[in-house]
Amino acid sequence: MTAMPRFQGLKSLAISPPSLRDENRKTLRVVLPALLFALIALAGAAGAQEPLRIVFIAYENPDQLVENVEPVIDYLEGRLGGEVEHFAATDYAAVVEALRHGSADVGFMGPLQYVMARRQAGAYPILGEIYNGSATYVARIFVRKDSGTKTLADLAGKTIAFVDPISSSGYMYPLDAFKSAGLIRTRADADTFFKRVYFAGGDEQAIRAVLNRFVDAAGVGQFAFGLLRGGERDQVVHVAESRPIPSHCVVVRKDLDAGRVDALRDALLALNEGPNHGLLEHLYGVDGYVRVDASTYAEVEDIARQYDFIPASGSPAP
Amino acid sequence: MPRRYRSLLQPTRLAALALAAVASALAWSRADAHVVPPERLHPVTESYRRMGFLLSLNPVLWNEVGRDATLIADGLEAVEPDGGRLYRSSVASLLDAAITATGGSGPIPAAERRATARDVFHLSTGAVIDKLDAHLALARARLDEYGRASLELGEARALWAAFEPALQAIDAGAYREHGRRWLELTSALGTPGVLGAGAVAPDRETFEREAARLMAFLDATFRAEDAAAVPERVFRVSPALLPVTPAAAAAPGLLPPGSEINKQLPRPRQVLNMAVRGVDEAETPLVALGDMAFDSPEIFGEPARSLGLSCNTCHNKGVTNPRFFIPGLSVRPGGLDVSSSFFAPHAANGHFDPVDIPDLRGIRFTGPYGRNGRFASLREFTRNVIVNEFNGPEPEAMLLDGLVAYMLEFDFLPNAALAPDGKLTDAAAPAARRGEEIFHRPFAAMGGRSCASCHVPGDHFLDRRRHDVGTVGGAEAGSRDRALDTPTLLSAAFTAPYFHDGSAPTLRAVSGHFNDFYGLGLSGPELDDLTAYVETVGGGIDGYEDTVFTLASELEEFSFFLSTYELLKARGENELLDVTFKTIAFEVQAHKWDVQDEGRLPVLDRLTEIMVEAYEARRRGDLAAVDARVAEYRALYENHAEVLQ
Repeated sequence: MTAMPRFQGLKSLAISPPSLRDENRKTLRVVLPALLFALIALAGAAGAQEPLRIVFIAYENPDQLVENVEPVIDYLEGRLGGEVEHFAATDYAAVVEALRHGSADVGFMGPLQYVMARRQAGAYPILGEIYNGSATYVARIFVRKDSGTKTLADLAGKTIAFVDPISSSGYMYPLDAFKSAGLIRTRADADTFFKRVYFAGGDEQAIRAVLNRFVDAAGVGQFAFGLLRGGERDQVVHVAESRPIPSHCVVVRKDLDAGRVDALRDALLALNEGPNHGLLEHLYGVDGYVRVDASTYAEVEDIARQYDFIPASGSPAP
Repeated sequence: MPRRYRSLLQPTRLAALALAAVASALAWSRADAHVVPPERLHPVTESYRRMGFLLSLNPVLWNEVGRDATLIADGLEAVEPDGGRLYRSSVASLLDAAITATGGSGPIPAAERRATARDVFHLSTGAVIDKLDAHLALARARLDEYGRASLELGEARALWAAFEPALQAIDAGAYREHGRRWLELTSALGTPGVLGAGAVAPDRETFEREAARLMAFLDATFRAEDAAAVPERVFRVSPALLPVTPAAAAAPGLLPPGSEINKQLPRPRQVLNMAVRGVDEAETPLVALGDMAFDSPEIFGEPARSLGLSCNTCHNKGVTNPRFFIPGLSVRPGGLDVSSSFFAPHAANGHFDPVDIPDLRGIRFTGPYGRNGRFASLREFTRNVIVNEFNGPEPEAMLLDGLVAYMLEFDFLPNAALAPDGKLTDAAAPAARRGEEIFHRPFAAMGGRSCASCHVPGDHFLDRRRHDVGTVGGAEAGSRDRALDTPTLLSAAFTAPYFHDGSAPTLRAVSGHFNDFYGLGLSGPELDDLTAYVETVGGGIDGYEDTVFTLASELEEFSFFLSTYELLKARGENELLDVTFKTIAFEVQAHKWDVQDEGRLPVLDRLTEIMVEAYEARRRGDLAAVDARVAEYRALYENHAEVLQ
């Protein structure tokens, strides 16, 4: 790792020739190739010549996201002193796959995807996101205000839209709210408790399915409410909410060099305040980051096991 | 340093998951929460919906229709090359015929216009259904590739949105039934899980069954080969199929995609003469009535009323709204054709003549009114706006008096660079002083007149006459319909764009136009100086409010509206009382999401409820209850005025 700052220094020389006097330049022309060679060899020995590869999850246009995060990548390259590559995936499975095969070192994902990734790829979380000043959020069960539904029990024999079968706030935690209310015990119970369970494909689709009377209820993340317009918000109300869900997290692959992990964590935490705070706007608009480790997600893992998202037995990957 | 980009394009239904978090984290507790974001639509859906609107207008802007048809054709060609090409050429020949017949802009016979509109709409409906069908088929064929199937189904669902508003309006039951059908389809995709864990296999049988039912419905309802077989109820919400004007239809007054009726933030700073003098607003009820009416959609008729449009939508805080735009009715942001067939079909003039929204500052000095100065009286002009531009009922005399009283309070922005006689003061920059000389310089090319001959500095920079300044295309060669009323230059620095139609984006462009039109021979630097002068004359102190948080001032204003209660009650003005209660209820609801503390929403909801209760009590003649509700509103507002800041 000692090569990193020196490499950065060289890079900055290379891009600011006007500051160099002629004789220096001449010297450099001779010295530079040799120096570069030595540095590359050194970096290779330290295993640090590889660029850091970040996979972002794109919720809409992946190309746009890749472009939008450019300022963040520039910042990270400056902070970390090396090349940072990035690409976008639109599928959590692809993110987990990339971490497992080492085609990405760092990924962004939701808590349920993380606990599944942990078992399959040994990846671990280093930072949690802070939204609206909180490192946790909740799932809520929304109904139409005029439906007369007051409690979760009222939804027996009714229809419900969740977001996706693999979703923390859009399926697992809403289910858990029904379990906490003593209405179901297992994931399979939901199929008998409700007349019909749908997966709408997104928070907005799910809450709009309630608004438009396609279904009687929706189990979605709390922020889905904000996707409705003013007059629409007045038509729906939540009748229950889940226990707190740890927010989305930054996950690294299991064999990423510890020094690089520390540097990355510090670089992202440094965005919490100071002149570069505005860069967070490009990182899903979070307020900041908070340190997390696997224990932060222990409860998520526990619930995931109860609902068969991960096997009940067997030791997790190291 | 080149960077390697890769996109693992495997779209998934998880797509909207954390977008929700991001979008709403931004949307919640913001000062512009009252700003309604545009609906996010598939480009083909957007074009189809907009086209339906455009085709319902008179005149139809065929070129605009053609733009949308191109987008639909592109979308269809991507999945059905032959069908896309056929649609493109068929629509092109229909539009060519219409455009040729109109010579580009003139009217064509009504029957011909309607027939062409109907044919174009019918073809386009078929094209959207074909594209939707193609994506459903692709999803069905790729059910085992979750990512691909999900993408194709997403496309199909986004195209379905082309028909949703119509269906929702005509058959709520079918709308819900097919809404559930899409949930069935999405659910039938299953999930690949995460690396196999949690995987759910696709349900092919359900998918095929639901897709077939959906297509059968679309074909039967929206794509009947024989247009006459299309149910009457679809005609009513598909404007282009209408034999009559849309205002007569039962359809909801929907604006087309691309419309923008939100107001600007920060707001323009309004200078009310009485407020500057420190007058107690509680004691000026006629002005308060006018302020309320100015903000009230209730004084207009349909469709403006249901769309929530008021005077204030376009003349925000008595100034302008540079964002306002409606496809087919605006030629550029900040303008509108107020004699179109959409808002008041009975008063349509049959040709497309959008005008730039005028600034109302200093309106008591700027008569006559209208871009062509057709109304000498502000009161007559205002009545015309209500009745003949926005289809409102005949306004009560007191309401008109109120509107006029309110508008008479609108002052120009104070301007330290300008003396009362219209001469520049020492505060003006040297360039503006040089420009002042040019402004007063007689030009032989203008018959010895100067800019100041019409924009008379001693009389608010206008002359109350009409002149042809080369900005209007007349009805025919030599026609005298090109003359426009001289506008004031005061406060003009804040009201771009310029000219009656907003065709000049800057004051420099205005200077350039006059130089070219009259052949004045002014040099570039001279035009710069002249522009600097006009900018100085048109300048002012603090053209915009210094905050984007408007809820507190809005609530204060609603309280002002209610100060009319005793007057209206004493005069027995029941209809105006009703309008006042409804307007306050509407306005509180429209602004309540701006509140920074979510916990205060119940207070705002209660304020609304009280006004609704007052309205209902007034309707049943329970005056004691009305008194009580008004007192309750005032007390609740007073108690919470501070925390609602």
